[in-house]
Amino acid sequence: MANPEHVMGVVGSYPLLIALWLLPLAGAVLCWAFGPQLKRAAGWLATAVAFAAFALTVASWGSGTQSLNGALGADQPLVRWMPGFHLGLLLDPLSLLWACIITGVGALIHLYSIGYMEGDSAFARFFAYMNFFLFAMLTLVLSDNFVGLLIGWGLVGLASYFLIGFWFYKPSAVAAARKAFVINVAGDVGIMFAIFLIVQKTGSIGFGNAFAAADTYGPTLLLAICISLFIGAAAKSAQVPLHTWLPDAMEGPTPVSALIHAATMVTAGVYLIARCAPLWSHDGNAQLLVGTIGGVTALTGAVLGMVQWDIKRILAYSTMSQIGYMIMGVGVGAYEAGVAHFFTHAFFKAQLFLGSGLIIHALANEQDVRRMGGLRKRLPFAFIAMLVGVLAICGIPGLSGSFSKDAVIQGALNHGHPWLYAVGIVTAGMTAYYMFRMLFVTFFGRYRGEIDPSELGIRHPEFAGTAAHADTGGHDSHHAPAWLMNLPVAILIVPSIFAGWLLYGGADSPWHRFFDPQFGVAAPANVPISELTTTLVTLAFVAVGILVAYLRYGTAAARESAVERLRRESVGMWPILANAFYFDVALDALFVKTSEMLGRLVSRVLDPHVVDGTVREAAIAAQGSGALVRSLQTGFVRAYAVFLAVGIACFAAFYAFHGVH
Amino acid sequence: MLLALVLLPIIAGSAMLLLRGEDRRLYRGIGVVVALATLVLAVAARSEDWSAPWLRAPFVANFHLGIGALAFWLIVLLALCTACAVLAVESARPRALVGQLLLLEGTMLGLFISRDLLLFALFYDLMLVPVFFVLLERGEHPRDAWRYIIYNFAGGLLLLFATAAFGVLHGTTDVIGSAGNAISGAWVPWIFWGFAIAFLVKTPAFPLHTWMPNTYASLPPPVAAVVGAVQSKAGLYGFFVIAMTLMPQEIARYSTALIVLGTISLLYGAVAALVQTDAKRVVAYSSLSHLGLIVIAIATQQPLALAGAALYIVAHGLFTAALFIGLGYVEEREETRSLARLRGIGANNPRLAGALTIAGLAMLGLPGLAGFVGELVIITGIVQSGNVAVAVVAVISVVLASAYVLRLFQGIVNGPVAHDLPVRRDLTWREGIAIAPLLLALLYLGVNPHAVLASGSVAIPRAPQSSAAGVTTP
Repeated sequence: MANPEHVMGVVGSYPLLIALWLLPLAGAVLCWAFGPQLKRAAGWLATAVAFAAFALTVASWGSGTQSLNGALGADQPLVRWMPGFHLGLLLDPLSLLWACIITGVGALIHLYSIGYMEGDSAFARFFAYMNFFLFAMLTLVLSDNFVGLLIGWGLVGLASYFLIGFWFYKPSAVAAARKAFVINVAGDVGIMFAIFLIVQKTGSIGFGNAFAAADTYGPTLLLAICISLFIGAAAKSAQVPLHTWLPDAMEGPTPVSALIHAATMVTAGVYLIARCAPLWSHDGNAQLLVGTIGGVTALTGAVLGMVQWDIKRILAYSTMSQIGYMIMGVGVGAYEAGVAHFFTHAFFKAQLFLGSGLIIHALANEQDVRRMGGLRKRLPFAFIAMLVGVLAICGIPGLSGSFSKDAVIQGALNHGHPWLYAVGIVTAGMTAYYMFRMLFVTFFGRYRGEIDPSELGIRHPEFAGTAAHADTGGHDSHHAPAWLMNLPVAILIVPSIFAGWLLYGGADSPWHRFFDPQFGVAAPANVPISELTTTLVTLAFVAVGILVAYLRYGTAAARESAVERLRRESVGMWPILANAFYFDVALDALFVKTSEMLGRLVSRVLDPHVVDGTVREAAIAAQGSGALVRSLQTGFVRAYAVFLAVGIACFAAFYAFHGVH
Repeated sequence: MLLALVLLPIIAGSAMLLLRGEDRRLYRGIGVVVALATLVLAVAARSEDWSAPWLRAPFVANFHLGIGALAFWLIVLLALCTACAVLAVESARPRALVGQLLLLEGTMLGLFISRDLLLFALFYDLMLVPVFFVLLERGEHPRDAWRYIIYNFAGGLLLLFATAAFGVLHGTTDVIGSAGNAISGAWVPWIFWGFAIAFLVKTPAFPLHTWMPNTYASLPPPVAAVVGAVQSKAGLYGFFVIAMTLMPQEIARYSTALIVLGTISLLYGAVAALVQTDAKRVVAYSSLSHLGLIVIAIATQQPLALAGAALYIVAHGLFTAALFIGLGYVEEREETRSLARLRGIGANNPRLAGALTIAGLAMLGLPGLAGFVGELVIITGIVQSGNVAVAVVAVISVVLASAYVLRLFQGIVNGPVAHDLPVRRDLTWREGIAIAPLLLALLYLGVNPHAVLASGSVAIPRAPQSSAAGVTTP
């Protein structure tokens, strides 16, 4: 306020903003402290809190988009954090969009969870974590400075850790939670490092200052800052090679996967890069790096998505691939397109996850698609929900995914990255293949749940996401009304279909009018290939993907021989694909094994035998026969006497050198 | 009142050692009251200054007491930790243990409020005595007691020699907390290293640390809490009030050596903590790592790093004490500290699991808790001082910290219930109250580090180029 150059938005008092930020924290504390008393009411309390936060977000809409003297958004100074450093909240179009998705989709998933988690022994704890996640994620997107962002960044990692490891008696869930947390801390320190560099240059942690100084950093420092930030973004958003925690994170309850590991938290990296657009726009190398990693991730996720059998892992790799698109978009500079893909993806991917949750719930925790089949008649609503989600993610024209995905692909070309353009189109075809593969195997043909797993090529049913999961959470006694889980899915169908239309109309679309003040109006690009052509080419690839999936899994003959085909595919899977390109093995060997080896070297060799050697001898000598008095008389007192004599000698030497004054 | 501050716990502790009977509630009660009384006395006597003549030859030394800004926070930490530790004492013979804890508190209080180097050195040695006897009587092996006393007494003697040399050179040792006593000359490097080695033993830092894992593992948890949290800060405090103010040229001259030692400690402790199977040793080695970071901060002399160090000294004390007390509860219930055997405590002890969670998260530097702020500010300062490579090592150790803390925490709390271990009830009210203040303080300082940083413990620099950050408030 005193220093207008630091301020991004319009400074004032915005009680709604503080309320919407703190409300979920209050909900979390209540659910946590009074869980045993609240029992089932904890779910309703947390859900009400989420809906209230969404209402407050919508109510703050005006303050988030106001524009006064070129300033943008509502700026709420909060606390003096350290002398010279202040923390505050910022609501501008970007954070407003994220806050809407976090609270809106979050509220629907809370509602769904009341049904899904029914009967779990730690029902209230689950909702405490969920509300805490909302608070953490809101901290992340509403902060007006890097430290606040980092605090949110760390806290969403914690919430994710708690929720992945929610069933903490399962060793696999515990291991997955730890892996996710440690990889995310590696990302946190990336952001920390960026903060160090920014503070060194600008003496400030505020976004406003950091961005205003964007053209004074010099190329080396700017690239270092961008890379540091991107390490954080890559870890959180599961970009290659830091993606390996995301598939494992599916150990958490399905609503968690929908909220945290699909719709919101994993897109934090997209938010970070969009937020730091002024930095990226100044550095072509950083754009190239981030765009390329995004493209590689999109492709890798799609390839691995084609060979998964666990329905949640199919969706997890799909999420990774779609975030790759978003990162590619914001990376190359097509910020509005990348952010738009986050927006539409949040709806259709949440819907896909919640739809898969309906299946998993109905099949007593079965997650392996090989043991499904023919569910179309048994679960018609889940089928419709999944079908809409699949069509949306494939980019069928008119549904939400088509608008945003085409915008990203076109954006890569417009910003001069033809290779990424090609990757985007190919990945779209692969996406269509693995999504329709899932659809055919799950919903068509005959139900295979009663067949012996080994006939389907499932070698280790206890590890393969099969009914061995049945001990998780005790869902058997659920009596929740079906509408609790069906209603949120039904509501999500609407934006899954229509949300993309906000982008309709090119430069005059509501989307562009909303975001142009934030990212600036893009200069009309010299477009080598028109948008219509791009859409048609993408559609051709999508059609091929669907066709291949149909021929392999959808035809009447394929459905008849499904058991044999699935067995053959499972057994004959290439090791490189079965091991997901060995990323896990490589990371393990490079980092985990190495540091453990160093640790053993230190604590078994260096410490006892090298560093401590001499003194240990002295200790053993002093200890003598073990009798206290004798050792006092022998070793210890003698040592003392020696020290004393040395000391006196030192004094003597000192006076001898200096003489007596 | 300053004299009363030191004498109260010493007299109470000594009296307790002479008394008879083993009434647990009585002695715990007295101990907590005395510890809290010292807290009140310290706040009341914060601006007092008390002095009496002591030596006139060969140099001037006085019984000079006063509370500096950093010392104040250390005293608050000490009183809090002692109160919590006394409350957490669980022993069939609590009398001597509580007595030794009070003696420990009194001697350390004396150290922190000494304004005279000779007095400082005296208390530096005196505070070893209670720990030594606890180790001898209740440690796992007498060897640990001897190792502790030999290392630390050797450090104490070096400190005494350095003090004497300083006194002879400067004419007086009544110099702590008063400006204008910086010395220079050919002998000063020797004096500096005398002090520095003594402080590095106490902290400890590589390669003088090998007494520490055994000591921490061997001590009863409440004593380990006070020693790990506060006694380990005596050396760092010495760097602040002695090395930095009296020998600023030397600390600048040898900063590279100190930074190297600190950096090795940082990494060495972190990788060693990754593979320990004794839960307390994980915390011990993590301490080596975290305090190494403070040594680096001191060596850089960068104002931001020093401010962060002051905060991290307090934060580290809080989470170390909380973890040792919490691990003590675990050991009491499961009768083992071996990570190979412990698992699944969380199912039957949710409150204990919650306490360990918060303490562990503070240790791994979770944003929002006090440890994070300290680390962030220190490493920011390290980068500002130009040691970017050291900062890289520091952030690597942050990642390692998350790995070893989760290994420790999940190993104890998560997984299926261990059926070969006893199942005991969750935290009692007393046990909960003994750990809760530490956790609340961690949370408070994480949200509002301003409380410690603005108290003038260290002069906070203004930001280098512009005067403000984030959102500026007038």
